[in-house]
Amino acid sequence: MVRKVVVLSAGLRQPSSTRLLADRLAAAVVRELGELGAEVELEVIEARDHGHDLVNNLLVGYPSEELEAVLGRVAAADGLIAVTPTFSASYNGLFKMFVDVLDDEALAGKPVLIGATGGTGRHSMVLDHELRPLFNYLRADVVPTGVFAGPEDWAAGEATELPLVRRIDRAAQQLAREIVLRDPVKSVDPYDAPTPFAQLLAGD
Amino acid sequence: MQIGIFGVGDVANDPVTGTAATEGGRIKAVVEYAQRAEEVGLDVFAIGEHHNPPFMPSSPTTLLGYVAARTSRIQLSTSTTLITTNDPVKIAEDYAMLQHLADGRVDLMMGRGNTGPVYPWFGKDIRDGIGLAVENYALLRRLWREDVVDWEGKFRTPLQGFTATPRPLDGVPPFVWHGSIRSTEIAEQAAFYGDGFFHNNLFWPKRHVRQMVGLYRRRFEHYGHGAADQAYVGLAAQLFVRKNSQDAIRDFRPYYDGSAAYGGGPSLEETSRDTALLVGSPEQIIERVLEFREYADGDYQRQLFNVDGIGIPHRTVLEQIDQLGEIAQVLRKEFAVGRPAHVPDAPTHQSLKASAEVR
Repeated sequence: MVRKVVVLSAGLRQPSSTRLLADRLAAAVVRELGELGAEVELEVIEARDHGHDLVNNLLVGYPSEELEAVLGRVAAADGLIAVTPTFSASYNGLFKMFVDVLDDEALAGKPVLIGATGGTGRHSMVLDHELRPLFNYLRADVVPTGVFAGPEDWAAGEATELPLVRRIDRAAQQLAREIVLRDPVKSVDPYDAPTPFAQLLAGD
Repeated sequence: MQIGIFGVGDVANDPVTGTAATEGGRIKAVVEYAQRAEEVGLDVFAIGEHHNPPFMPSSPTTLLGYVAARTSRIQLSTSTTLITTNDPVKIAEDYAMLQHLADGRVDLMMGRGNTGPVYPWFGKDIRDGIGLAVENYALLRRLWREDVVDWEGKFRTPLQGFTATPRPLDGVPPFVWHGSIRSTEIAEQAAFYGDGFFHNNLFWPKRHVRQMVGLYRRRFEHYGHGAADQAYVGLAAQLFVRKNSQDAIRDFRPYYDGSAAYGGGPSLEETSRDTALLVGSPEQIIERVLEFREYADGDYQRQLFNVDGIGIPHRTVLEQIDQLGEIAQVLRKEFAVGRPAHVPDAPTHQSLKASAEVR
């Protein structure tokens, strides 16, 4: 069965350590899903590529055709890997803008793996204090392990208590398991099946 | 095909000259636009309802009653009437009164409102928006159609032995359009009753307009009011026209860039491509409006143009209306070409009265 995994990376620089972490997470998730017998269709979305469209969407209330297609693919994904750099003790503004223009229901019940990067390990609480509540609000199923990568993680080997690679593997296993537990996401055309009027009239 | 103008009555300073707009000035100006629209042969004048600055039309039937006295032919409508926060009893009475004064030249477009706080200001909850639109309209229909109404619902004081006065002119309630940009429930409501559906395609990309209108048409047929292509569809557009297109774009751009709705967002060119913003020469406007049939999912009944607001000077608006009068003549002729005979026109008091007599 083909499973669609979308990676959202809100890194701003090239090369981006956020994208580096996102790619490591994606590769691990693809591998774990493969071990569970699933084929994977992977798409990486760089929030930066849609920066102007995101602002325009917030200002006029509807997405450009291109952004709309991207948002649709996030909603249609079986799993999401969301990674952001830490800015002022939280996800960056670009990341939040992307989340803000998603449909209210886009992430409901969807397995999500959260990741973040930061200039110091002291930012690592951004995962549980900022990202996890955000995705809980959107009723996503956030896997227990989030992955934070600070400068020291990129040089930490086996000697370290819990090296980055092991956290990545554990998070990827959790996401892959959650994905295969669920039926593939079916896209619903809201124009296809309106609520019948008798039901509206009854106040249901 | 009905062609007309609509506005929301915003009071905005001119971003080019800096000239300050006043409520009083705008109210008088809008009345003048209605008269000019009639003079140049347009079919409809519609005004919105708002209860917060920078908008002035809080009291649409007062304004339309005044317009009714100064015109004789043009259809008077709303864009929109707040079916959520108004008492349906008051809507029933106000518009029946207007019908009598205007000799039947009245219809309404129902909407839910543009600002969150309007609901609590009128003792309602925005989370009940759809529920209010459904229940209030169901009551409104009964008040216009039954002489004595006993009623109990979720949102309003019950009624026992109530008669809304005056009764609708000739016993024929005004035709109702339901306006919605993205709520499929409202398209469903319009279809259920066999009412009209108006899509304000100014603020939603046109690729979605067709889907919403298509839903309304399918459900109109489902509920037995006729074939899908006999449903009543209306569309909007924002118009700025000059003899040649460069002048139109040059003159309109500062108003676009300076407006609360568009400023700082997508460029004039992008919005023109994605929505019903029409800025150009008469020929370009005509060509684009004729293509709207694609978004109306077929031939349609009503096309309204917004020509005022966002600080556009009074004289320029009058010029726009004059130009639109000429454009409308071409549009009517072109829209008639190949239009199947079974596609109806928009209902009017006369047509509704005639079909009531047949029944």
